[in-house]
Amino acid sequence: MNTRTSLSLSALGVVAFLFGWEAVARSGVVPAGLLPSPSAVPTAFLAEVQRGIWQKMVVASLSHYAVGLALGTFLGVTFGTAAALWRVWDAFQSWVVRMLRPIPAIAWIPFAIIWFGVSEGAASFLIALTVFWINYYASYSAVRGVDKDLIELGHAFGQGGLIPRLFKIILPGALPGILSGLRAGLGQGWMTVVAAELFGISGLGMRMMEASGLLATNIVVLYMVTIALLYGVSDFLFMQVQARVLSWQR
Amino acid sequence: MAAVIDLNGVAIGYGDSAPPVLVDVTLSVERGSFVAIVGPSGVGKSTLLRVVAGLHKARTGGVTIHQDQRPAHRPVGLVFQDARLLPWRRVVKNVQLGLEGLPISAADRLRRAEEALKLVRLDGYARRWPYELSGGQRQRVGIARAMAVDPDILLMDEPFGALDAITRNNLQDELRRIHRETGKTILFVTHDLEEAVHLADRIIVLGGTPARVVRDVKNDAGRDGSVFRDQVEKLRLEIADNYSI
Repeated sequence: MNTRTSLSLSALGVVAFLFGWEAVARSGVVPAGLLPSPSAVPTAFLAEVQRGIWQKMVVASLSHYAVGLALGTFLGVTFGTAAALWRVWDAFQSWVVRMLRPIPAIAWIPFAIIWFGVSEGAASFLIALTVFWINYYASYSAVRGVDKDLIELGHAFGQGGLIPRLFKIILPGALPGILSGLRAGLGQGWMTVVAAELFGISGLGMRMMEASGLLATNIVVLYMVTIALLYGVSDFLFMQVQARVLSWQR
Repeated sequence: MAAVIDLNGVAIGYGDSAPPVLVDVTLSVERGSFVAIVGPSGVGKSTLLRVVAGLHKARTGGVTIHQDQRPAHRPVGLVFQDARLLPWRRVVKNVQLGLEGLPISAADRLRRAEEALKLVRLDGYARRWPYELSGGQRQRVGIARAMAVDPDILLMDEPFGALDAITRNNLQDELRRIHRETGKTILFVTHDLEEAVHLADRIIVLGGTPARVVRDVKNDAGRDGSVFRDQVEKLRLEIADNYSI
């Protein structure tokens, strides 16, 4: 299947989904208040944009997202790589990691509020936390999985010192795995954006909360679609970058 | 002739307590010679090469490499059985790996890499990715990478073992030519007697348990038909004697 057919099939799938949804909403099987029709979304969109709310919320969420994602990714990759490289450090931190890992980011919300207040910082912290674990584990196993023969090759050709070994052999070798962690974090980060903003930090999640309080389901759907699009765009851009960075792969 | 490397009572083992697999290796390799080490698998010949390359510690004994004083070179260039290229580097960058960290300019690095690629007849492939090359071409890049560091000794660990017969023959001829043209000292590990007789001017046979040097012969059979067969046959019988413990 060539790219063109697969693109048109994807488009067809989206259109079919919207049509089905619209049909169910119009048929009256489900009360209008419970399931807004997709055709109600553009109206809601125009109203929100005219009042400047949509733009403000998108910018606010994007900034939480960007800060949290950058911080979580950087720290996750760093700590994951370090744990994979140094056995002593790995052993030292392994049980701390085991204890902290299963706690979901939303469980940290009380502490986020105590430490940062109901603020941008709290939202970014929660996003960073989610993204951290994904990148920690992805990097850990990617670095562990680097071909030992390539490391031996480095030693044989004078690249056995920590810095050349890390930057010429290990990190490039682990890059495909690290990047798939990054990509997973990209998606998981958006999910946490909403959760983090539900408790009143300005952004998409907060606006959804307000709208659902007023039973304005079309506005809720508008912001759901907004998040889906933002995720879609960030994932698409990431894939473009990844394809370039990994062009050495078959 | 001056020796490039001296091995003195080298013993090799794995782990800390297991008995050694190879003992009492004392030999010196003369500058410009082409020496083959043969022996069955598990005898420790690849490990011996790694000891010379400084990648594995000998149990006992010492390895001395008599380094030349010329600047910007490395004492050994190692060629692996699996070409072992870095898949994320283009061919020319792979060849430069060993030059990085040496006190030469980027322009000199590039020039030396290009010369090495020319030596293995891969000029024109500099910008390719490793995955675009055939097995034989990859092995040529591996040889170029080792030659680029201008080593005192070229160490080759069954470099043609994974190639098909035709490619292997081509590369054997190429290696003879490279040896003739550059005069490099070569230490070549193989389990293939014919390959050893075909390539080397001295053959060291390892055998026994634990293994030791059982034969060290001058080989001038070269490629001369009947002489070649005789030499292979003679060595085969000797080795057979030493393997049936």
